[in-house]
Amino acid sequence: MNPALALILAVAIGASFSSRVEVVAASAVVACGVAWIADRGAFRRVLRAGLVLGAVFAAAAATAAVAWASGLDRGLVIGGTVLLRLVVLGTAAAVVARSVDAEKILSVTSRLGMERLGLVFSLAVNALPHLSETTSTVWAAHRVRSGGRWAALRRFPALAEVLLAHTGRVADQAAAAAALRGHRALGRIATPLVTRVRTVVVTGPTGSGKTPLVASVVEELGKRGVPVAGFLQPAILEDGKKLGFRIQNVTTDEVVELARRVAPGDGKFGMSFAFFDEGFDLGRRALRDIAPGSVLVIDELGPVELRGGGHWPAVERALKSFDICGLVVVVRRTLVPVLVEALDAADVVVVDLEEVDGDAVTKVVEAVSGCQVKQS
Amino acid sequence: MKDLRPWTHAALYGALWGALEATAGTALHLGRVPFRGEIMGLIGLVCLVCLRRLQPRVGVVLVAGVTAIFLKIFTHGGLYPGPLVGIAIQTLAVEFGFIVARGPVAAALGGIIALGTNPVQRVITAWIVSGTEAATAVLRAVGELGGVEARWVLAGFVGLAASIGALGGVWAWRLSGRVVRRLGGGP
Repeated sequence: MNPALALILAVAIGASFSSRVEVVAASAVVACGVAWIADRGAFRRVLRAGLVLGAVFAAAAATAAVAWASGLDRGLVIGGTVLLRLVVLGTAAAVVARSVDAEKILSVTSRLGMERLGLVFSLAVNALPHLSETTSTVWAAHRVRSGGRWAALRRFPALAEVLLAHTGRVADQAAAAAALRGHRALGRIATPLVTRVRTVVVTGPTGSGKTPLVASVVEELGKRGVPVAGFLQPAILEDGKKLGFRIQNVTTDEVVELARRVAPGDGKFGMSFAFFDEGFDLGRRALRDIAPGSVLVIDELGPVELRGGGHWPAVERALKSFDICGLVVVVRRTLVPVLVEALDAADVVVVDLEEVDGDAVTKVVEAVSGCQVKQS
Repeated sequence: MKDLRPWTHAALYGALWGALEATAGTALHLGRVPFRGEIMGLIGLVCLVCLRRLQPRVGVVLVAGVTAIFLKIFTHGGLYPGPLVGIAIQTLAVEFGFIVARGPVAAALGGIIALGTNPVQRVITAWIVSGTEAATAVLRAVGELGGVEARWVLAGFVGLAASIGALGGVWAWRLSGRVVRRLGGGP
């Protein structure tokens, strides 16, 4: 550690815990002197009008309170001590802010064996300009939509909701980007799969028709005589509300319930859905005894699977054990890069239902039918 | 595979909280706005509850808290112990709330502890910065103004802050539910 920084920190700690005015005064002299010699820029930062005014205000408040309780003389001593203590703390903070950067933190955390925490800090620091820009944009849009500054402040929950959701999206993108870059320090893939077959990733927003599309793909492949294995997960809907999911074996057409909506946080894996073992059993059966040359259809892989749970072990086994010809996987948009990383797929076609040109069913069918068996 | 999202969510929500502490927190502090501790406490509570609802894992809130402290250290208030202690206590409170309870009750419990300890923490900070005499004098002065003993003044502040924390926790839970729906939660 920088000796000047170490000395200032020691002095700041001493000043914080000493009640003797002489000690605090000596600390202030040492802190200011060291900052002046070692880092004049830091010293100038302390002399900003706002900070000086804040310190003077705090000292005046302390003086007034103590003078009222114990007399003016004592009040002046305590007020002076507060002012000096704030000078020490302000100087130390300025020197710390100028001496320590993200690289140093990364190096320290790395030496301490806390590389992940260092990367989290680094991601947080890198995200700050983006978050600041977003906050300003979201606030401007919210103000215009609300018809003025005060009306916008009254609709504060709506603003908070948008900002928090955007932060969540950035976090998802950061995770995806980290996965694509192979940031193994943040999260390691226990057993990386090597998927050499053509992989079609079907994605799109909620309600865009991913499951009906895959059902049509299964039907079309069947008409063309291409063997298909795997499962579909159609939603259970009631009055337009999603109450849960069923799971259907595409080979046998057997259907059971997989998940049902419960109170938030009450479900397995901490989610809003309770999962049924029968559903996972059917999933396992659907991914067992696959005929050679089949196209494997998986609708869908979610966060549970990408954490290694749910259907993931069965998918892993199927991809390793059978000579499949192609793979069709449904996944939500934010998970696409994570999925590609998890499968380590070399030949990938992404079909986004909101952006696809032409008939999506034909596109998927043509991508996987007539392919060669490449995995052994 | 291990999902990276708990780490990135903790980093981003911690960054959001840290950035708000460094900007809005400093502005409220310099403006001497009343209940600034409670306002910043509520902001932190919303960030943490939302994070915990999006990534329901033990420890994720602690990582976000450490991140917020890390960012706060880089501001001028970095060595001023109040906000740093506040962030640490709030983080532990929310984590504790979600370990011992579930749903809105967990959020309310986290809010009660996080904001209820705010006045106590402020007295401790005042003691560190100003010394015992000034802190006691302020409590005595407030008490004498209202004609009650200092400990009852402190208890009153704690009760008020805890009530705000309970309501804030439930509100944060509902708000985070809307955020989860907006992000398209599902299996």
